[in-house]
Amino acid sequence: METADLSHHISRRFNEDLERVRSKVLAMGGFVEHQLHKAVTALVEGDSTLGESVARDDQQVNNMEVAIDEECSRILATRAPAAGDLRVIVAIIKTITDLERIGDEAEKIGYIASRLATMERPADKYREIKHIGRVVSDMVHDGLDAFARMDVEAALRVARQDRLVDEEYEAIQRQSITFMMEDPRTIRRALDVMWVVRALERIGDHAKNISEYVIYMVHGKDIRHTSLDDVERDLRAGAAVEPLPPAARS
Amino acid sequence: MQPATQAWGFAAVRLAGTVVLGVAVGWLLHNPWGGLAIALILHLGWMLAQLFRTEWWLRHRSYADPPEIGGVWGEIIAQIVRLHRRKRFHKQRFVQLMRQLQRSTAALPDGVVILNAQREIVWFNRMAARLLNLRRTADLGLRIENLLREPQFVRYLARGDYANPVVVHQSSGTDTWLSLQVAPYGDGQLLLLVSDVSRQMRLEAVRRDFVANASHELRSPLTVISGYLETLAQEPGLDPQLQGPLSEMRRQAERMTAIIHDLLELSRLEDTDEAVTAAPIDVAALLALLRKDVLARPLHPHEVRVRLDSTARLLGDEPEIHSAFSNLVDNAAKYTPPEGSLEMRWWVDEDGGHFSVTDTGMGIPPEHIPRLTERFYRVDPGRSRATGGSGLGLAIVKHVLQRHGGRLQVQSVLGAGSTFTCHFPPERIEAAPLTQAVRFS
Repeated sequence: METADLSHHISRRFNEDLERVRSKVLAMGGFVEHQLHKAVTALVEGDSTLGESVARDDQQVNNMEVAIDEECSRILATRAPAAGDLRVIVAIIKTITDLERIGDEAEKIGYIASRLATMERPADKYREIKHIGRVVSDMVHDGLDAFARMDVEAALRVARQDRLVDEEYEAIQRQSITFMMEDPRTIRRALDVMWVVRALERIGDHAKNISEYVIYMVHGKDIRHTSLDDVERDLRAGAAVEPLPPAARS
Repeated sequence: MQPATQAWGFAAVRLAGTVVLGVAVGWLLHNPWGGLAIALILHLGWMLAQLFRTEWWLRHRSYADPPEIGGVWGEIIAQIVRLHRRKRFHKQRFVQLMRQLQRSTAALPDGVVILNAQREIVWFNRMAARLLNLRRTADLGLRIENLLREPQFVRYLARGDYANPVVVHQSSGTDTWLSLQVAPYGDGQLLLLVSDVSRQMRLEAVRRDFVANASHELRSPLTVISGYLETLAQEPGLDPQLQGPLSEMRRQAERMTAIIHDLLELSRLEDTDEAVTAAPIDVAALLALLRKDVLARPLHPHEVRVRLDSTARLLGDEPEIHSAFSNLVDNAAKYTPPEGSLEMRWWVDEDGGHFSVTDTGMGIPPEHIPRLTERFYRVDPGRSRATGGSGLGLAIVKHVLQRHGGRLQVQSVLGAGSTFTCHFPPERIEAAPLTQAVRFS
């Protein structure tokens, strides 16, 4: 009787720990989303102070990553989780790395935005960047939602979106090259714009990674470097499905 | 009651009848005891049969058709049926009430989310699902901050001070501004109210932009006017009759410049939703500077005192704090007669830091005090315009204090003077490291 109580107690404490870390990851995700939004807004609206504030606040993202990393190590060392719980911890450790990279890319965009704010703005007012920025922001948002809800379907949808971002990236690249050839005076600005689009494309990749960790976390299946169609077929066939750990579900 | 007593009567009569009959028949057969025993056994069997039917009926819950049993058992069954009917009636009323409640909350124009003590979603209405992109049933049991990740909201939730709503911008999906307010109730449960304030925010933005642009546009022509007025006033061959009007024009132009400066300052304060910096400000030095400013005025109070009860530094934005404090000190200096006195005081206690300005001016009638921080609000229209204020000083003070988490308190006695106090929360005070260490060790 006593041992049963004790083990119950331990697992409850463990679930609480896990849940707290998950909340911290999502809080970090929320902050990174905010940073990304601010960076793109700073660029599109030519707001140099906003851009600078993004670059300044990146330190907070780094601090969050370190804090969560430490907590994960502590859980691994003291609780030695297995199976589903272990997968959650592993997925969290990977997710925060990607979130931190997204933060870095946002910082880069903010920095370039504050520089571009002093230059003449193009006639299209960075319409393409606004669009790709929106797609990428939504990917990050939906990826984190999928993480919060343990929603494999949504995660797959996010992973699929990445192709769209890649196409958009190609299109903007071609367009920029045309501009540069037409008017060499815009080369400097066009290069900066290319850096921004490149950063956004990278953020899209990181969002895709995050959604892949969700699938790994729920199904215990590593789908990196596999075609998405194969993954979907496998998942529909119900392969490699393990029940979720209770902590992850709540 | 009446039928029940009747039933008991019948039961007693029936038992007596059975006993008498049994004994009589037994007596005829020369065995009265045997007759009595058989009669009692028969009676007992009959009772058991009724008990069995009653129990069977209760077990199968076929309340609709109660068995046809007379006597006491019939009475008991009738009582049960009555109880059941009453229960069903109340239940239906509750269900109806619940449905009405649910329908009305669903029809609310605002979103409502019920959270338990762990801040997990227990229930939400249709509007909340729409505004927060929540999914019916699938999202129940999830922590709210896991789905609503806007940093301001997460901070708001963690801080636990739910007096005011927090406004967050939802950038993903629909571009909306949401006002979120938490109301704690019951045993650690929370009620989260969500409303869409995009329209108000947009209107507000338009208004702010207009004020900022208009002030900005007015500034350049005014600079030109002031410049020419200055040159004209120094013209040697100027008609002395024009001297008066010219200096009045210059004064008014200066006032307009001050108003525009304050308007721009206000719109800048309103425009930044970034948190203020928390650089340590040396209050003692700031007050010394303000005192010098007052003494530099052509007409200043006879006595200007600075009382420092603490050397603790204030954490905030220096230009903003300077602007707020100097507005308060300016006001006090303006309304204090030359023979009066003015005192600035800075002290720190467990509630935080406090800065006060006390003057011996004419005081403010109590009915005006709540409205003092409104833009262009005048206690006495004729008089205050003559002193050349912009009418925006206290609005600026209020905004700066809000941004620093503080508040303004005004005390005034008509004819004796007023005290304006700025209260800052404890986290805005830089703890002197040495004394702090001593206290904790």
